[in-house]
Amino acid sequence: MKVLVTVKRVIDYNVKVRVKPDQSDVDLANVKMAMNPFCEIAVEAAVRLKEAGLASEIVAVSVGPAACQEQLRTALALGADRGIQIDSGEAPDPLGVAKLLAAVVAAEKPDLVILGKQSIDGDNNQTGQMLAALLDWPQATFASALALEAGRLRVTREIDGGLQSLELNLPAIVTTDLRLNEPRYASLPNIMKAKKKPLEVKSPVELGVTLKAHTRLLKVEAPAERQGGIKVGSVSELVEKLKSEAKVI
Amino acid sequence: MAILVIAEHDNRALKGATLNTLGAAAQLGGELHLLVAGFSCAAVVAQAAAIPGVSKVLVADAAVYAHQLAENLSRLVAGLGKGYSHLLAPAGSAGKNLLPRVAALLDVAQFSDIVGVVSPNTFKRPIYAGNAIATVQSLDPIVVATVRASAFDPLPAEGGSAAVETLDAAHDAGTSRFVGEELAKSDRPELGSARIVVSGGRGLGSGENFALLEKLADKLGAAVGASRAAVDAGFVANDMQVGQTGKIVAPELYIAVGISGAIQHLAGMKDSKVIVAINKDPEAPIFQVADYGLVADLFEAVPELERAL
Amino acid sequence: MSDYVHPYRDTEFVLNELVELEGFCSGAGLNEVNGELVSAILAEAGRLGSEVLAPLNAIGDTRGARLSERGVEETPGFAAAYRQFQESGWPSLTAAEAWGGQNLPNVVGTAVNEIWHSANLAFALCPMLTQGALEAIAHHASAELQAAYLPKLVSGEWTGTMNLTEPDAGSDLAAIKTRAVPNGDHYLISGQKIFITWGDHQMTDNVIHLVLARLPDAPAGVKGISLFIVPKFLLDAQGNPGARNDAQCVSLEHKLGIHASPTCVMSFGEKEGAVGYLVGEPHKGLACMFTMMNHARQSVGLQGLSISERAYQQARQYARERLQGTRKDGSRFPIIEFPDVRRMLLQMKASIEAMRALALVAAAEVDRVTHAPDPAAAARHQGRVDLLTPIVKGWLTELAQEVTSLGVQIHGGMGFIEETGAARHYRDARILTIYEGTTGIQALDLVGRKTLLNRGELLAGLFDEIGETVARLESAAPFAVQARALGEALAAGREARRLLLEGAEGDAALAGSVSVNFLMLCGYLCGGWLMAGSALRAQALLEAGGDRAFLEAKLVSARFYSEQLLPRTQSLLAAIRAGSGSIMALSDEQF
Repeated sequence: MKVLVTVKRVIDYNVKVRVKPDQSDVDLANVKMAMNPFCEIAVEAAVRLKEAGLASEIVAVSVGPAACQEQLRTALALGADRGIQIDSGEAPDPLGVAKLLAAVVAAEKPDLVILGKQSIDGDNNQTGQMLAALLDWPQATFASALALEAGRLRVTREIDGGLQSLELNLPAIVTTDLRLNEPRYASLPNIMKAKKKPLEVKSPVELGVTLKAHTRLLKVEAPAERQGGIKVGSVSELVEKLKSEAKVI
Repeated sequence: MAILVIAEHDNRALKGATLNTLGAAAQLGGELHLLVAGFSCAAVVAQAAAIPGVSKVLVADAAVYAHQLAENLSRLVAGLGKGYSHLLAPAGSAGKNLLPRVAALLDVAQFSDIVGVVSPNTFKRPIYAGNAIATVQSLDPIVVATVRASAFDPLPAEGGSAAVETLDAAHDAGTSRFVGEELAKSDRPELGSARIVVSGGRGLGSGENFALLEKLADKLGAAVGASRAAVDAGFVANDMQVGQTGKIVAPELYIAVGISGAIQHLAGMKDSKVIVAINKDPEAPIFQVADYGLVADLFEAVPELERAL
Repeated sequence: MSDYVHPYRDTEFVLNELVELEGFCSGAGLNEVNGELVSAILAEAGRLGSEVLAPLNAIGDTRGARLSERGVEETPGFAAAYRQFQESGWPSLTAAEAWGGQNLPNVVGTAVNEIWHSANLAFALCPMLTQGALEAIAHHASAELQAAYLPKLVSGEWTGTMNLTEPDAGSDLAAIKTRAVPNGDHYLISGQKIFITWGDHQMTDNVIHLVLARLPDAPAGVKGISLFIVPKFLLDAQGNPGARNDAQCVSLEHKLGIHASPTCVMSFGEKEGAVGYLVGEPHKGLACMFTMMNHARQSVGLQGLSISERAYQQARQYARERLQGTRKDGSRFPIIEFPDVRRMLLQMKASIEAMRALALVAAAEVDRVTHAPDPAAAARHQGRVDLLTPIVKGWLTELAQEVTSLGVQIHGGMGFIEETGAARHYRDARILTIYEGTTGIQALDLVGRKTLLNRGELLAGLFDEIGETVARLESAAPFAVQARALGEALAAGREARRLLLEGAEGDAALAGSVSVNFLMLCGYLCGGWLMAGSALRAQALLEAGGDRAFLEAKLVSARFYSEQLLPRTQSLLAAIRAGSGSIMALSDEQF
């Protein structure tokens, strides 16, 4: 079985984001970047399938500028066999990414595509579902467990209030939730070896995809600062405030 | 053109987030239609039809929609979607599973977790885990979005009488199968991920007195935490500690009971959305970070609060 | 608890701009080593350090190593962390490929080791000691012993220890009493060793002790000491750990800091005698130890940097969050807005950046010896290694005392409370000026073997190089003030050197009396030299459109260093000028 896994270059989760003074976007200049944590889980899931003898090859794909080769190298150090960078320049919106990935899937013909459920920059949580739609493949989003049984995929999903189990025909799309696994650290020898693994660069044109803007980012602001608190006089006033003002109960 | 909201439900009852999503839809202007897709979901349809402001309830009641598998439901919604200006769903796991798939079938963008409506095609939504708020505009003919329920007022649940229209299309992709589900019982949620956390400090006086907090927590569906002082005093176990050396939490509501507010503790909970402090010492530092402070004897205030909920 | 995050940007700045690593590696034929690879290595080490090792720091302090019937039980969580560390291949970083190593340059290993020591000083001592043992074996042991022990030490499957000190033989190793008696193909060792770091634990299935002992026919003094391998478990025919050797930890010390690092009293040969294997020639044990002395001493100097960095990160976060000022409108502001808090933070930051620059530049000199194009170049670089090593060890660890103390100070009362962790870093740092040769020993090495013995030639070469940096500063417009500061510090260094060279012959107590002040003067001067070099590079990069936030801060650190730390050279010179008079004036009883 061939597994395709996607990795996205995002701001390191330790870094506190700052909005640019002109509110055009967040300021990513000279900020530490890393692999999206949900993508790490996706890579780990793929590597475990390979270690279990269920996957024969893992192809890591990243959409973005040349810098995202760094995250592809990380994926290679973690156990992916080869990498593909889709040189899209500025990151397309999720539908554009899904179209590019669909073109890679058409060429690579994997049996399974594993994606992170969302990236910690845009927090969109869309690409996997969109890719599934474009390919007309079944999807299991927010996966917390994954097993292959008799050529079918058994996935436990984290849904509001509990867990759901689905069985999917292959080929299929899986998006990972936090509890699917605990990603390993790349070992030093594998970091060294990753330098020698193949990494090819493809353009959207080569993939036959024309990207189109579906959205426009108008403004990015910092969230409102915490307001100075008030003292309430009684329990009933507290309950009233929590219900009508804070709306948290 | 009309707006279609996809109801969140479990075939037995409509989920409250649907009403908030309708609240967001009402800000867009246009007729509101509500889709109830499920199986043996007549009770949900009845609830849906009673919502004032909803002019039409579309019902797709078929076995293939019993578990709202995205493969099947997305075809239904995408088929309907071409006749609408907006398709909205609550930003729960069901809506997030479904709507991106619908959007891709319609070749339009999807907006996740909107928290504000600027205009019918422009929305505010959190990015970077809420550390920034983006204002984004749709360039597509149909807007598809999931709605963060807590950001919008709900429509009332009763008082309306919408027309009910039954759909007979039953899409079955045949590629996925529901196997089962395990829904959490009334057990308290985990401290790290709970929506509400009730924490106690040295003011509780003993481990037994934490029962007061547990009753309150159960009423709220909250997790129970503790300050370092309460843990050190042996009232409760280590793993309940909230603070710099314990768990860092950021729930929507944090209720600090009998906690003075040492810096160590504040570091573990200051990112909570709403902070309530109940303490009998009006000078306690916890009040400096609390949105709502109540100066009171916790042994009176907590039971009273529990009864008032 | 403040989290530790590796300051990768500063490390990469030093490696790229001061060490010029990529150019060195391609010149040395290490074509695989480039900036991209080093970044990937540092990033992954940083993750492991932050996420696995750093969180064990607090529990290691409160639940330190304990002695049980099984031997030493390390802090809960350490064994799993060690396994992750070991399985990720980190112990093999600089080792030779023949033994399973990655053959990466020493300077890269040093940059990575900074992370382990910052994340968890007590933990990182274990691999640090292992590396010392490994090097002793790699340089001096027979091929057979190397084949038996090196692969497992390189892979980290076994750890190593260094057994030098005895109750009566501390800084003075001539007094060693542990005996080694020939017994067929091996020796039987008996005696007691103290202060044996990580002398026992349950994290690996063998521990390899390197033990200094005397043969029966040994001459007295340091010329009669031999070095032995004494494994905790003897190897069976397949080379796997088999029978228990007669070597155990009999007691653990109760210490001021680094509680998770077991400091063992080791007893060899309580019963039949511990089986040991001679490393190198008989009676040449001390020479074997000397080959790794530079490395071990630089490693401890590095620990001074690491613990300072950790203390700085902790203090910086606290200063940003602690609201203690009130504005006119009643709103409150964090203490980082107070000028004196800023002074303390900047002193920490500038000190740390100078320490990092010196630690990495000195570590790279070791690589320049290894990969020297000719013997003359090798000798030149070896001279620089010899000179810088006591400065790195002495100055970095002394500065660490001040930096970690400032870390406590910034916390105010909370700094004296253990819960914040600031006090822990301060306590953990305190050993650094003591073990692996006290500051006094380092200073004697600097004034004696490294200066008087070569008539100050090594220092003169270093000073000339610093003089070139002064000239470059003078010709760069924005650095006139810094050029003067570095020039004055350099003049102080030259004057101190002259005083030492001219005064030492006539006054036997002079060298020892001025040595620590001399070392500290050299330290501040070297720091100033590298901070000036950093400023020149930062200015050039800024003009080329580099990362403004980082480079501008670097320029400020360098300026602060020249304003507030470099002038210390003048008071140190004054103390050196005072010589030995008052120091030797009192009788012992008058103290």
